[in-house]
Amino acid sequence: MRRAALAAALTALTAATACTEDVTAPGHCPDFCPSGSITGVDTVLQTVVQRDSAFRGFVRPHEARSLLAATLPGVIDGRAIVLLVPVGQRLVVGTGGDTTTGAIVGVDSLRLTVTITRRDTSAHNLTLVYYRLPLDLDSTKTFADLAGAWTTADSLRSLNVDSVYALAGHVDLLRGDSVFVDTLTNRVTVIAKLDSAMAPYVVADSGKAAFGIRVVADSRASIALGSVEAGLGPLLTWFAEADSVAKDTVPRSSTVGVRFDSFVFDLLSPSVDTTLDSTLAVGGMPVARSIMRFALPRLIRDSVQISRATLVLVTARPPEGVPADSFTLSAHGVLADFSAKSPLSPDPSRVATTRVHIGIARGDTVRIEMADILRSWQVDTLAPTTLALRQVPEGTEFPEIRFEPSTNVALAPALHVTYVKRFPFGKP
Amino acid sequence: MSRTGRRLVARLVAALFLSVSLTVRLAAQDSQFSVRGLGVPGRWESVRARTTGGAFGPFDPRSSVADVSLADALQLTATAVEATTYRRAEIGGSRDDLRSSRFPFMSLAGPLSRRFVVGGGFATYLDRTYSIVTRDSQMLRGAYAPYTDRVGSDGAVADLRVAAAARLGSWIAIGAGAHVLSGSSRQTAQRIYDDTTFLGTTQTAVVRYDGFGISGSVALDPVRSVRIVGYARSDNRLRARLGDTETDRVDLPTTLGAALRWSPSPSARVAGTVAWRSWSDAGGFNTTSWSAGAEVGAGPTPFRLGVRGGQLPFGPGTAAPTEFGVTLGTGKSFSGNRALVDLGLERLVRKGGGLTETAWTVLVGLTIRP
Repeated sequence: MRRAALAAALTALTAATACTEDVTAPGHCPDFCPSGSITGVDTVLQTVVQRDSAFRGFVRPHEARSLLAATLPGVIDGRAIVLLVPVGQRLVVGTGGDTTTGAIVGVDSLRLTVTITRRDTSAHNLTLVYYRLPLDLDSTKTFADLAGAWTTADSLRSLNVDSVYALAGHVDLLRGDSVFVDTLTNRVTVIAKLDSAMAPYVVADSGKAAFGIRVVADSRASIALGSVEAGLGPLLTWFAEADSVAKDTVPRSSTVGVRFDSFVFDLLSPSVDTTLDSTLAVGGMPVARSIMRFALPRLIRDSVQISRATLVLVTARPPEGVPADSFTLSAHGVLADFSAKSPLSPDPSRVATTRVHIGIARGDTVRIEMADILRSWQVDTLAPTTLALRQVPEGTEFPEIRFEPSTNVALAPALHVTYVKRFPFGKP
Repeated sequence: MSRTGRRLVARLVAALFLSVSLTVRLAAQDSQFSVRGLGVPGRWESVRARTTGGAFGPFDPRSSVADVSLADALQLTATAVEATTYRRAEIGGSRDDLRSSRFPFMSLAGPLSRRFVVGGGFATYLDRTYSIVTRDSQMLRGAYAPYTDRVGSDGAVADLRVAAAARLGSWIAIGAGAHVLSGSSRQTAQRIYDDTTFLGTTQTAVVRYDGFGISGSVALDPVRSVRIVGYARSDNRLRARLGDTETDRVDLPTTLGAALRWSPSPSARVAGTVAWRSWSDAGGFNTTSWSAGAEVGAGPTPFRLGVRGGQLPFGPGTAAPTEFGVTLGTGKSFSGNRALVDLGLERLVRKGGGLTETAWTVLVGLTIRP
C-alpha cells in the first residue's frame, strides 16, 4: 500500500513538473543576444514599374451598373436615357383568375420609378428633370444625337427630390410624387407622376416609352441611378382604362421594366477628353484601365520578408467631379499577362485598394498599400508580376484619373518597400 | 549472458535508438549563457551521479562520463532522467523568472560476459534553447517605428553513445566509446511593429548539427576501498547545416578528467572529480570543472549530497562565466532492487558578464533492471 502511494506521488510530481515551458526573457544586447540580428530595410524602388500602358473600353455606358447623370458646368453634362418595355395593347380585365383581356382605350397617368444609388448630400435642391426621348434608343446614341430632345421646351417636368422628401410622409399629394430613403443602403427611390399628356399612349407603338433624366441642383450635381445590370433599373407603371364587356371601361395598372438603359454625356472641357496618351488612365467613361508590369529585384522576390509595400503614383490629371464622385482605385493582380485582356485574379490577396478623393491636384501622390500582393508574388513565383489599375466598381463614376507613366523618369510610379532581410540562421 | 538476456538487450537498444529518433526535448538545462557561442554543455550524469555534484559520474555505470564505469554494470540496466528547472536571470536591475522541463539523459547497459559490458544512450551535448525579446525602433518613412524582436532557438545537440568496458583484472578496467553528435534546433526570428500598417515578419529554420567523437578511460583500484579513474574524450567538429547548405563548422573540445573515490565502509562513499575541456578550440574559454560528493547508506534508501564548480565555455567579456552548485538527493528501490527511483534537488548559480543566473532543478530518475 505504501509503495502504491509512493508511486502515485512520484507520478503526480512528474506530471506536475513536466511539460511546463517559459524560456522567453528580455535580451540584453549585445552580450546576451544572438550574434545575428533582424535587419529591417526601408527603400524606394524608383524604376520597378516598366512597360506600363492604358486601355479604354472595359465598360461602356449601356453595360454599366449605374446610369450616370451629372451637371458639372465646364466639365461634363451627363444624362440617363431609358427605353421601357411596351405595356402592350391589352390588359387583363377579368378578376379572380379570369384572364380575359381588354384593349387599352385610355391612360390616366403613369409613375416612373428610379433609384438614386449615389448622390452628393451637400447638393441642395437636387432636382430630376424628365425628358421624352425618341423610341429608337440604342447603344450608338450619343449626346449630340439626342440634342434635339434636350431642349427646355421638351422637358416633361421636374421633381425636386429634397422638397418632396421634406413633405409629410415624403409624398407630394398635389403632384403625386414620392421619395423614399432606404436607411440601410442610403438608396433613394424617386417616384414621379406623369400625366397622359406627358407620356401619351400610342396604340401603334403598343405603349412604348423612352425618357431622359437630367439632374440639377443649386451647386454642381452628380448622381448615379440604378441600372438594369444592377437589378435596380427604372420601372414605369401605367394606370390605364381598359375596355370591358361587362362595363364600358375598367381601370387597370401595369408595370413594365427596362428594355434598354444607358447614359450619354457631353465633355465640356478639353481636359477631360477620353483620348489616351502615355499617361496611366483609370476610370472615366468608357472605362479605362492601366496595366503596370513590375520588374522586382531578385532580393525582393525570393529572399526577404515584406513588412510594407506602397505603390506611389503621381497624378498627371486629377479627376473632376463633386465630392460624392470620389472613387476606389484598385491595383488588381492578373492571372496571366495578356495586356489589356489580362484576366484579373480572383484571389483577394492580390487586390489592393485606396480611395481617390475629388479635389486632389496634379502632382499629388496616390498611395496603394500592396504588401499582400508582393507577398503573394513571393509565394507563387510563377505568377505574373503585373497589376491592372482600375476603378471599383467600374462604370459607376464619370471622373477619370491619370498617373504619370514610367517613361516620365522623374515622376514614374515607384514602390516604397519596407522589408526584413533574411536572418542569418545557423550561425552561433 | 543468456540467450534471453541478449534478446532483451537487443530490444532495449532498438527502443533506445527509436526514442532518440523522436523529437525528445534533450536539453539539459536552458541558460541565458546558451545564447552566445555554441550553447551550454550538458551533463552526462544520472540523477544518482548528479546529486553528488557530479563527483560520482566517472564511477556510475548509469552515467556516461567515463566508459569504464560500465564495467560495474553486472546486470541489464536502463536509466532515464527528467529535470524541471525554475530559473531566475538577473542583469542590469531586471529580473526574469523562467522555467522548463527536459529529458536530458538516458542510458542502457548490460554485460555480454562476466568481464565485458556494453552500453549506450543519449545525453545532451550542447543546449541550444533560448528565446530573447528586445525592443527598439527604426526610422521608417520619416518617423520612428517601434518594434519588438523575438529571436529564439529550441533544440539541442545530442550525444549518442555506444561504449564498452572490460575488467582486465581485479584492480584494473578499461573502457572506450564512440559518440555521434546529432541534433537540431528550430530557430525563429520574428519582428512585430507597433504600427500595424507594417506587417509582422516571422522567419523560421531548422538547423541541423552533426559531429563525431571518441572516448577512452581506465579505472584502477590500488586498494580495495579506493578507485581512481582517468578519462579522455576527443570530439572532432560540429557542423551546422541549413537544408543542404553548411552554415558553420567549429572544432570541438578535447576533454581530460580524473576522479577519485574512497569507500571507507560499505555504506559510505566519497568522491571527487576534476575535468578540463579545451573549449577555446570552439571559440570559447577553456574550462576546468570540479565536484565533490558523498553517498551515505548502502540500503534501499541512500542519501547523497555534493558540490560542483567550474566555468562555462561561452560568455561575454574576457573571462569565462563561472558556475557553482549544491545538490542533494535520495533514492528508493522497489521490486527487489529491480526498479529504482532517484530524486534530487540542485541549486545552481551562474555568473558572468553582469548576468547572474540562479536555478532550482528538480530531478527525477528512473532505473529499471529487468
